[in-house]
Amino acid sequence: MGGSDDRAVPAGWTRRSLIGGGALAFTYLVAGRWRRLTPREARAEGAALRVLSVDDARTLEAAGETLAPGAARAGLVHYLDAQLAAEPAESLLILRYLDVPPPHADFYRSGATALDRLTGGKGGFTALDASARQALIGKLAAGGLGKAWPSSAPPAPLFHFVLRADAVDVLYGTPEGFARLGIDYVPHIEPLRPW
Amino acid sequence: MADTRSPLQSKTEVLIVGAGAAGSWLARRLAMAGRSVRVLEAGPGWKLDDLASSQIWARRLRWGGPLVETTGRNPFGYGFNAGWGLGGAALHHYGTWLRFDPHDFAMKTRFGRGRDWPFGYETLRPFYDRVQRDVGISGDAGAEVWRPPGDPYPLPALSPTSQGESIARGFRALGEHVAPMPMAILSREYRGRAACLYDGWCDAGCPIGALYNPLVRDIPEARSAGAEFVTGAQVTSLLWDKGAGRIAGALWRERDGGVLHRAEADLVILAASAVHNPALLLNSVSSRWPRGIGNEHDLVGRFFMTHAVLGIYGLMVEETFPHLGVSGAQFSARDDYAKARGDDEAAFGSYHWLIAPAAKPDDLLGIAISRPDVWGAALDPFMKRAARHFASMIAMVEDLPQARNRVMLAEPPRPDSPPSVRIEHAFAPETLAVWSRAKRRGLAVFRAAGANEPWSSGVNTAHMMGGTIIGRDPRDSVANEWGRVHGIPNLFIAGTGLYPAAGALNPTFTLYALAERTAEYLINHWRDHVPSG
Ligand SMILES: Cc1cc2nc3c(=O)[nH]c(=O)nc-3n(C[C@H](O)[C@H](O)[C@H](O)COP(=O)(O)OP(=O)(O)OC[C@H]3O[C@@H](n4cnc5c(N)ncnc54)[C@H](O)[C@@H]3O)c2cc1C
Ligand code: SF4
Repeated sequence: MGGSDDRAVPAGWTRRSLIGGGALAFTYLVAGRWRRLTPREARAEGAALRVLSVDDARTLEAAGETLAPGAARAGLVHYLDAQLAAEPAESLLILRYLDVPPPHADFYRSGATALDRLTGGKGGFTALDASARQALIGKLAAGGLGKAWPSSAPPAPLFHFVLRADAVDVLYGTPEGFARLGIDYVPHIEPLRPW
Repeated sequence: MADTRSPLQSKTEVLIVGAGAAGSWLARRLAMAGRSVRVLEAGPGWKLDDLASSQIWARRLRWGGPLVETTGRNPFGYGFNAGWGLGGAALHHYGTWLRFDPHDFAMKTRFGRGRDWPFGYETLRPFYDRVQRDVGISGDAGAEVWRPPGDPYPLPALSPTSQGESIARGFRALGEHVAPMPMAILSREYRGRAACLYDGWCDAGCPIGALYNPLVRDIPEARSAGAEFVTGAQVTSLLWDKGAGRIAGALWRERDGGVLHRAEADLVILAASAVHNPALLLNSVSSRWPRGIGNEHDLVGRFFMTHAVLGIYGLMVEETFPHLGVSGAQFSARDDYAKARGDDEAAFGSYHWLIAPAAKPDDLLGIAISRPDVWGAALDPFMKRAARHFASMIAMVEDLPQARNRVMLAEPPRPDSPPSVRIEHAFAPETLAVWSRAKRRGLAVFRAAGANEPWSSGVNTAHMMGGTIIGRDPRDSVANEWGRVHGIPNLFIAGTGLYPAAGALNPTFTLYALAERTAEYLINHWRDHVPSG
């Protein structure tokens, strides 16, 4: 608890009891074995991607990292890939809230392709230096790319909004992320009685 | 999938479609009154243990059935606002429970605009009183100077955090009232249920049952009284018995495998939400009902409403603990709830403030999304500061009933398949003028509270109402005051879809009061609707 003013801490706080967990873990294929890992671990161990191509994944990771530095290592791309491999009803992506029709893989693939096409083709976006990436992502947010942004991709400001929100999810929406911000996650609540 | 398989073969007295707020309440009441009840629910059989505290995992609880298309100038945010599975949207709703204002029931009569309810506040008042005793609402009736007459709340108000206190300071500095928000969350233990822990995870569902949701009492008690809940059962249409001139039951499909079933009943209650109730009626075509059941006058699906939502945000000087508290609100402010205002003629309709909801770092209502313009190197320092100093409040703005705002089928009806649903929605200019007024005033409150450079959101949507409106005249409404579809003795609708006018106040307390009123009516007048029963 990052607070200094005890009076403002709600009364129930001291009564809470915690049980572990709350981590964002999914199943990934690593060196031929299925393992339950967090997206961060999956990335660090080089887990195989199931839906995204390696090229699209690189572009999305670079764009996500430009939007929210730290999101790449937090496992943004492995998080997206695990969700895109799930049934739509099981997906945890924020896209679910935005009434974007499935298949949601198309949303990310076409966005990645558009970024690369604007920067000279496959691998184009990742090849840019940091300031060129930032300049392009800035234009995306402002819708300043006009016709250069293909109509086959999601509207540029929406793509910016969603990828930023995904990056925020993996970077700040987990117990690790709360710790990074200096606040307690206080996950599951131990039931006070069986219901 | 089913609680038990064999009873599915048998006919029940009551068939309820949807195990959300309205369906679960009615299932409990009717089962406890001795009726045999079956509930068909499209989504999974959630349990309280499934409610993991995470904004990310919470998304699993939202609608996972066939895509609902949303169109129009202000498309309704269906994905965020709809639930599925046992508990429906009520499983992860925030428990902000306000009584409607007496003016909300008499818009046409008093203001010459909008629509009237077929009864006034006084008719619903005893049901609000009864439901709040049953459920346990925390609040301070005396401090709510705007509150219509009614019993005081059974529980004292929830404790505020410094986020709430700092925003309340802004209202008070401008001479406006604030009062603790009435919440269906327990400030103390009540009837064997635990009190709130103020961890701010209500959006993911409250696993200790401090916040009233259908898994806390309605579903377990209904089951104990013999009601059967079948999950993964998507109703596709209602069955019409031509000879008897009655509803015979419903067709439903298994979610996995898609097998089509027939469920027969003496009386059917649609409680599948303000979007899916009209969709099911429209999909139920026959020679008697070529445009869908109850749709003789092309009213089914029309007058769909949602609230226009505005977020006001700022960073306070003091620490605010924004991730703590409850997801709903700590304080309420309704000084500007009037429908019409002499100083602002372009604006028509009410709005009210939900002050200091808990905000987690991520997600649609979280800290980061409130500032989509902050990214790159600026994001981490912003998040670190905001995680300790962020404050927010939400204005809920009344939508006006308009016939062109509607739920419809995106493809021709096919009674043995789930309907493909489309929602068309645009706010009236008067509503957007109220929204702009709220924005000016909300930013002023935040400045008065000491926020340096407050900012605000665009126009968003919350809650779904209308689409199967009640009224006295069968040519001008879909159902009567009890929710019975005009002209059909044994088909009832429950839920917020019945509202002919939406007010600006969160709709669910009113839904429960209406459901309780209909339950009592059905228990007392069963034979009027099921003669042989
Ligand atoms: C995030 C969030 C916060 C909210 N907070 C508040 C609040 O603080 N205060 C307030 O007043 N309201 C709030 N609400 C609104 C509240 O949840 C709804 O008003 C309430 O749940 C509506 O109840 P219902 O019974 O009409 O529908 P629901 O509770 O949604 O239940 C409908 C059920 O029907 C099922 N269904 C749909 N179609 C079919 C079919 N064809 N066959 C079988 N089953 C079907 C669905 O799966 C669902 O389970 C909130 C909503 C959300 C999403
Ligand atoms: S804040 Fe209170 S009501 Fe919300 S989830 Fe926690 S204990 Fe339940």
